[in-house]
Amino acid sequence: MRFSTSYPASSDGLGVLRVEHLTGPLHSPVIHDVSVAVPSGATHLVIGPIHAGKSMLMRHIVGLEQPLSGRIYLEGARIDDAIDSHTQLRRLRARLGVVFEGSALISRISAVENVELPLLEHSDSSPAEARDAARELLAEVGMADAAEVSADDLPRSGSRRVAIARALALRPAVLLLDEPTQGLDAHSAHEIDDLLSELQQRYGFGILIFSHEVRHAFGMATEIYVMADGVIIARGTRAELEASDNEIVRQLLHRRGTPA
Amino acid sequence: MTLSALPAPPSQSPGRSTQSRFISRGRLAARSLYWLGWLTFSRRSVVTAGVEREVYALGIGALRLVTSASLLVGLIAIFQVATQLAPYGAEPVSPRVVTWFAARELGPVVVAMLIVARSSAAIAGELASMNATGEIDALRAMGLDPVKYLVSPKLLAVIIVLPALTLIADALILGGVWIGSTVFLGYSTDRFASQIREAFLTRDLGVGIGKSIIFALIIAVIASDEGLSAERRASAIGEAATRAVVLSLIVVLGADTFVNAIFYFIPGLI
Repeated sequence: MRFSTSYPASSDGLGVLRVEHLTGPLHSPVIHDVSVAVPSGATHLVIGPIHAGKSMLMRHIVGLEQPLSGRIYLEGARIDDAIDSHTQLRRLRARLGVVFEGSALISRISAVENVELPLLEHSDSSPAEARDAARELLAEVGMADAAEVSADDLPRSGSRRVAIARALALRPAVLLLDEPTQGLDAHSAHEIDDLLSELQQRYGFGILIFSHEVRHAFGMATEIYVMADGVIIARGTRAELEASDNEIVRQLLHRRGTPA
Repeated sequence: MTLSALPAPPSQSPGRSTQSRFISRGRLAARSLYWLGWLTFSRRSVVTAGVEREVYALGIGALRLVTSASLLVGLIAIFQVATQLAPYGAEPVSPRVVTWFAARELGPVVVAMLIVARSSAAIAGELASMNATGEIDALRAMGLDPVKYLVSPKLLAVIIVLPALTLIADALILGGVWIGSTVFLGYSTDRFASQIREAFLTRDLGVGIGKSIIFALIIAVIASDEGLSAERRASAIGEAATRAVVLSLIVVLGADTFVNAIFYFIPGLI
């Protein structure tokens, strides 16, 4: 199987990924009435302090948590409705690329094995074809030489790149990244930002970044959501938010590390 | 975002009732066995390579422990049995008694105890650690079943490794008995060999191997369940490992008692 470079356009013009009035999880809600939309080819950013509910929002989008109310659409299909349907959820998850905080590579296998996992599971490709496709993906993220290196032995920036390659393996419509530059030095973080921009320009997928560090991702995003205590307290462009009177927004945007 | 920011999913509550734990382990065992069947016929390189890695880690890595412990257990057993039988003038049949007991009981139980101590904690700790670092969630997010990719290879590896180590342990316990009999009790090797030939029956070996397969299932399922259901915090890793060891030991011994009771109450079964 060759790694295809075609990505679908937004299905309805409103956003290839749409979260509408989401409250959850079911038994002990942490996020309340959250709405987010990511058009195809756009980069949106959800920022907020630690414990703001950003990771919980991502877990809902991926279908790891059941919401109390609200809707999550991916290419027009409801993810929140698919939670009880293993087949449908599996199909929808194949359209989402996810880079968890800390990369979350499977530690006891190599970089190339990590990348080929989703290909083996979701495509009809033979092991040899999946391995070739995985190597191509690793080359795209600049990790061709580390294909056989155990995930345990990868440097932090390298594991982040491999996680991005794994997330892109199934040609997702949207790439979700939880704290993609956390723990990286400034140079490595900028390299990750550049890599994401380059891949997005090439393939056109939407990106939704969840971060409490505004330093790097801030520059990439066309729309920024500010989250605190489980709710979206502000949204807008960088310029709009910088003009905000909201105290939490001002604290987040003007704390140490924010680009001038 | 820190790990502690994430509340544990309902299934991961530390206060799971005994009934829900039993059901959870039953489901895990059923799913593992299902994927085990898939694994047997799979050509998928990642999973089969995973089995090889697990066999190496759980089996080859335990060889030194199992061989040295088995040899010592053989020596201890022959000294103990000879001491107990001496007042009745039955000391000469000590090798025969120990040999029979080794194949049916000592070999499988000693190996199971060693693997519980060495690998049960390792399996539970590894899965709990993967849970804490988000690796399990990452698999689920990719639509990959953690039971298929993580538990089944471990289960298959333990099912391969435990009977193989039991055979090795049986042989080394006999080695210990031989050393004890010839060097310390003064029996000839010929006399030792003739007693072994009389005592060592294939069916006893079969019972021992059968037990080791049951123990393998118990160890793999309990350790995996404890690991997968651990909470997402660093201290939960050690707790899961401890619970896995304690529970595996109790359930392995309970299962052994049950099997022995069946043989006792149904004479002539084997």
